[in-house]
Amino acid sequence: MSTSCGNPETEQDALMTRRTKFDKTKTCVKCKESRGNIVIRHAVYCKSCFFPLISTRFRKTLGPTINNKRGNKGANARGGRIKGLMQAPGSLVIGHSGGLGSTVLLDLVAKSYFYRSSTLSGQLPEDSLSLGSEHPRNRARGEGDSGDVWKGTPAVCYVEVASVIPGAKERTEEVRAAVKAYSDPTTGFEIDFIPLRLEDAFDEGWWKTIGGTDLKQGARDLGIDINDEALPTLRQGSNIPTTPLQSLHTYLSSLPTPTAIHSAISSLIRVLLLFTAASRDASHLLLGTSLTSLSMNMISGIAQGAGFAMVSEGLEEAWIGKNDQNISIVRPLRDIGIKESAFWAWWSNLPVPGRDRYPSSVSSVPLGSETAASRVAVKQNQKLTSIDVLTQDFIMGLEKDFPSTVSTIARTLAKVTTKEKGVSGGCVVCQKPAQPDVQAWKASISIRSYHDEAFVKSKHPLPPHFTSPPDAGVSAASSPTNGLAPRLCYSCHTTFTSRSSRGIASANEVVVPLPVWVKASLPRSSEDTTVPESKDLQTGSNEDVAQAELWETKKLSRGSIKDKIGAFLLDDAGDE
Amino acid sequence: MAGAETSSVTIKVEFSGGLELLFSNQRSHTLTLPAAVPTDNATTVPVPSTIEATKPADITYLIHYLRDHLLQERAELFEENGTVRPGILVLINDTDWELEGEGDYVVKEGDEVVFISTLHGG
Repeated sequence: MSTSCGNPETEQDALMTRRTKFDKTKTCVKCKESRGNIVIRHAVYCKSCFFPLISTRFRKTLGPTINNKRGNKGANARGGRIKGLMQAPGSLVIGHSGGLGSTVLLDLVAKSYFYRSSTLSGQLPEDSLSLGSEHPRNRARGEGDSGDVWKGTPAVCYVEVASVIPGAKERTEEVRAAVKAYSDPTTGFEIDFIPLRLEDAFDEGWWKTIGGTDLKQGARDLGIDINDEALPTLRQGSNIPTTPLQSLHTYLSSLPTPTAIHSAISSLIRVLLLFTAASRDASHLLLGTSLTSLSMNMISGIAQGAGFAMVSEGLEEAWIGKNDQNISIVRPLRDIGIKESAFWAWWSNLPVPGRDRYPSSVSSVPLGSETAASRVAVKQNQKLTSIDVLTQDFIMGLEKDFPSTVSTIARTLAKVTTKEKGVSGGCVVCQKPAQPDVQAWKASISIRSYHDEAFVKSKHPLPPHFTSPPDAGVSAASSPTNGLAPRLCYSCHTTFTSRSSRGIASANEVVVPLPVWVKASLPRSSEDTTVPESKDLQTGSNEDVAQAELWETKKLSRGSIKDKIGAFLLDDAGDE
Repeated sequence: MAGAETSSVTIKVEFSGGLELLFSNQRSHTLTLPAAVPTDNATTVPVPSTIEATKPADITYLIHYLRDHLLQERAELFEENGTVRPGILVLINDTDWELEGEGDYVVKEGDEVVFISTLHGG
């Protein structure tokens, strides 16, 4: 046996020794004088050096994105302003979840670009005096606006999710108070607070207030049948939800897995924020996603089939609304871990409103906030789990013992790219870039029915939750294209259709209501009276169906499959 | 036993980031711990005089003590494998506990220990 590796059986001391959490000494690596107060990925910093370190990292991320029409020349290397050049084309909206990252983001934005009220006991970063009189932070103090960087009044948008988390506490007023703390009566500066609720996604009233197009009468009661992979649009029957809250509960409770529920809530919040930002002519939507959260989102997103959007977005995400309005979705904390965020909040004495974990199951009808049933549901939620929850637990464990690896995840994924660009307009549900022809690709690489010839011949056993092959139904590959499936990204389609043998049971035979923006984007033909109410009518010969593209299923040879997926394969360097 | 009672340390413990909800919704607590505690971190108070193997009260003991005496519910959200659950940060006298030896730090009279949960996300 090699002596260099040692023999653990005979040499107990040869076992791997635990590495210290910091390199070399306890002295701050920056000033090299003070005793350190925090370890950030093995590097030690004192409290005095910590604040400028974090605010510089924040500005280096956000600064270059502000002036996107001027070739990023509005910011210097530290993300600071070059005189007279840093000017965003629109206003600013900050998405606030109530969590730690959002709280720190708001604080950093206010400290870096706006006047910060003295009503908070937190202190300004110690480099504030080094920025000069032209820095937006210093200029904004006397102007009471967005610091001359963004147009109009900045806004914070908070989406209340308590209505789907049994027993959860409403935090809207706490977030409102946290935002109001940044107002300054002497200069008149204030940040607008926009409280939303998750059920607004199904509220036509909200849709109108943000300038959404009128829904046609035919689209109002449209939903989808998620038991059919084509996701055909159907009219909701007599049990149509009467309120947005009921629609939300029906929507979430119909989803087939805990993971899908978690993913759907995140998606609804994201789109609510996007449309709100668009209604305020915003050029930037800031999110408080920390480096740690970013790594979690990336790992769980890829596991859920959202890899294409994640990769094509990279770290520079943009959303184009109506009238070619371009909104940059920026995560300025993407270089700042959750640990640094927590220390910033603690040392700045920031009140964190807090947020609850998204539920793993949702009742089909709204529950009162303090009923016995709701408390039982809370306990059940805690037992169920989802990909997001498992990923969070994994990454938090990694952060504790191997913090640099968490950083590596995000930085590595930021370098990955795809060969193809996303479909214009993207997914109608999540509004993210979608892979072109995703349904055709999916059909050509996978067995999608237990009635497929290949599956029958293979004599492969059925999954344990099926005792006999389920009805073939109308598959995505054979149905007319009046379904929603072709307009969804892989991830959203999976959210609606992927079933788990161990997951929660989906509410069968329920037509799932759609968010307002999906209804508004449905083609006119779907809104008209030709939309069937049951599967039997889908094969009817109305004009739309006759003109629709017809799909057929056929077995492909190995070479054909390679041709189809060749575009997605990376070049093999060894072939050169 | 008498020795254990006279030899004690008083420290201030604070909870933040939602952890206070597990501790009677009270953010700040003042605790008096025995200066010498069992090496197996058994938190019987007062420390039985029959215990021979003792060690100075450290943060690991404090975590066990908090779990056994102050925690109201759901211990799994606070303690895991004898230390705090991943996602909970600890500050000892305003300094990251990783600089102080983590659980092996011996508590001293007047120390301030802060537990911050980051599990509420961003």
